[in-house]
Amino acid sequence: MRTALTLVGIVVGVAAVIAVVTIIQGLDNKVANTFSSQGSTVFTISKRPQIIRSREEFIKFNKRKDVTDEDAEAITRLCTSCWRVGVAANARETIKQGDQQMENFTVRGVTPITMFDIDGRTIDVGRIWTEEEGDSGREICVVGSDVVTNLFGGASADQVLGREIKVAGRPFQIVGVLESLGSIFGASRDSVAYIPYSTYQKLYGARDSIVVMIQVPAAEQLESAQDQVRTIMRNRRGLTFGEVEDEGFSLETQDVFLDLYGKATSNIYIVTIAVAAISLVVGGIVVMNIMLVSVTERTKEIGIRKALGARRKDILTQFLIEAVAVTAIGGGIGVLTGFGLAYLIAALIGFPLLMSVGSAVLGVGVSSLVGIVSGLWPAWRAARLDPIEALRAE
Amino acid sequence: MSDATLTSPAVEPVVQPEPPRPHDAGSLISMRNIWKTYEMGSEKVHALHGVSFDIPKGEYIAIIGPSGSGKSTLMNLIGCLDTPSQGEYWLNAKNVSEMDDDELARIRNQEVGFVFQTFNLLARATALHNVELPLIYGGVSSAQRHEMAKKALAAVDLTDRMMHRPNELSGGQRQRVAIARALVNHPSILLADEPTGALDSRTSMEIMDLFERLHSEGNTIIVVTHEPDVAARAHRVVSIRDGLIEKDEKSR
Repeated sequence: MRTALTLVGIVVGVAAVIAVVTIIQGLDNKVANTFSSQGSTVFTISKRPQIIRSREEFIKFNKRKDVTDEDAEAITRLCTSCWRVGVAANARETIKQGDQQMENFTVRGVTPITMFDIDGRTIDVGRIWTEEEGDSGREICVVGSDVVTNLFGGASADQVLGREIKVAGRPFQIVGVLESLGSIFGASRDSVAYIPYSTYQKLYGARDSIVVMIQVPAAEQLESAQDQVRTIMRNRRGLTFGEVEDEGFSLETQDVFLDLYGKATSNIYIVTIAVAAISLVVGGIVVMNIMLVSVTERTKEIGIRKALGARRKDILTQFLIEAVAVTAIGGGIGVLTGFGLAYLIAALIGFPLLMSVGSAVLGVGVSSLVGIVSGLWPAWRAARLDPIEALRAE
Repeated sequence: MSDATLTSPAVEPVVQPEPPRPHDAGSLISMRNIWKTYEMGSEKVHALHGVSFDIPKGEYIAIIGPSGSGKSTLMNLIGCLDTPSQGEYWLNAKNVSEMDDDELARIRNQEVGFVFQTFNLLARATALHNVELPLIYGGVSSAQRHEMAKKALAAVDLTDRMMHRPNELSGGQRQRVAIARALVNHPSILLADEPTGALDSRTSMEIMDLFERLHSEGNTIIVVTHEPDVAARAHRVVSIRDGLIEKDEKSR
């Protein structure tokens, strides 16, 4: 019982680290998979960057000229390193089917149809619209699997083909259903409907800037393609070479998300390590205290062992091993608790777990180290007890 | 260990002890002009003032004396639990008086078998493990340790109690486990401190009989006691009083 209480600090410390490390490793894996589906071969030209950090930035970016179809057309024509160029615009919309509806739903107008490849989306059932259909501004759509689940409850994907959903009050015919991509950070990537860009313009007008998406054949060409596109865009904005305060457009890859993600997780790591360090230090002090009590209680035993020929280092080793055994067990319990916690959280949020042997070894290793450090002084006190005095103890 | 060790006042002894002879290389134990002085604050207290004697191999000797005579101090020195302030102590041709803690531990392990008044067994360990303890510190391999400990327990007729813990054994049995532990390493001396002090008279007789048998088998036995009955079983009795040897007589 006393030992169990002793271990609380260590268990909490190790469990915290293990849980967070396990969750973040799971996320890392997920993020890496997610973004590699699009890959590092895609970059975008847009009026505003995807991450805006302040109001001042927002105002600055809003003053920029819109990125237009003409820009996209110029890039398509002039950029020799570019492989596929597409145009995309997103709207937040409520969509309906019968008495079912989905709010805050992404309607994505794209052209040409290679945008599906650039976005890394594939068709599950049905088809993508043809170029002619796309150009003619017909009200047809390719939907993510959430639409099937939420608006046509119980229906299978092929049963919704040819059915209609209401987007901004207009009926859109479903021609295809996308392969599911699952969710990331709790946001579903399947709550989306792709519509032809010409239809999108009819629906929403040219009220907002578009995003030009450019894909290169291989990651090695990314830099030269970016250079070309930057030059084209600067020319179109009337900028000369050299330093300017603002280029008037944002050229980005998916790395901006990875950078942001990396910063966020490293902050989480730092906080967790701080929490763990504090609880391990407290845990270590408690272990030291208990070991001191143990040495006092077992003075007689130490005297007997010394009388029988135990040297200082024998006694020192004995008590160190005891301290390490106790804290290693605490670490083990912490590792299991941490994995359990991570498993629970993962099950609640819904992403795959990555339990690594490395973090388990680290957890037990660190707690053993705490055992050595906090056991050292008590063990040393035990080792230097005078055998005559110790034998006299009760 | 039960009686106090410090009584002599802080005065230099008037009677000079006999002049020290060089140590006797033939003796198992050779003490020459041994002083033990404790500092009590500013005062110096002499627990032993110049004790010299020899114990040949194979002797059965009792050290007697009243409380505070210095006999416990002497026992601690003989048992290498402590070193003298002055003088030379040779045990089995090794000068113990100059040794450091770890060397003393080694000597205790190899040369001395302790038997205590209160047995001093490890409560949580079996009889067998208790007997193995000195062998662990002696670096004996596990298999050999087992073999030797079993043999030692057999020698004190406790083969059927090997796996019992001390609280499952009678006083006499516990003391026999302690004796087995003391002898398992084949030490030069068996040093017993009031070995019957915690036993009834019938069990005391059994233990004394066992000592006699061990002596007849060639062991050197030193018994520290204040009981005349126990001392009478020894073949030589050394009386200590006020930190000096008062009498040293062979009884048989």
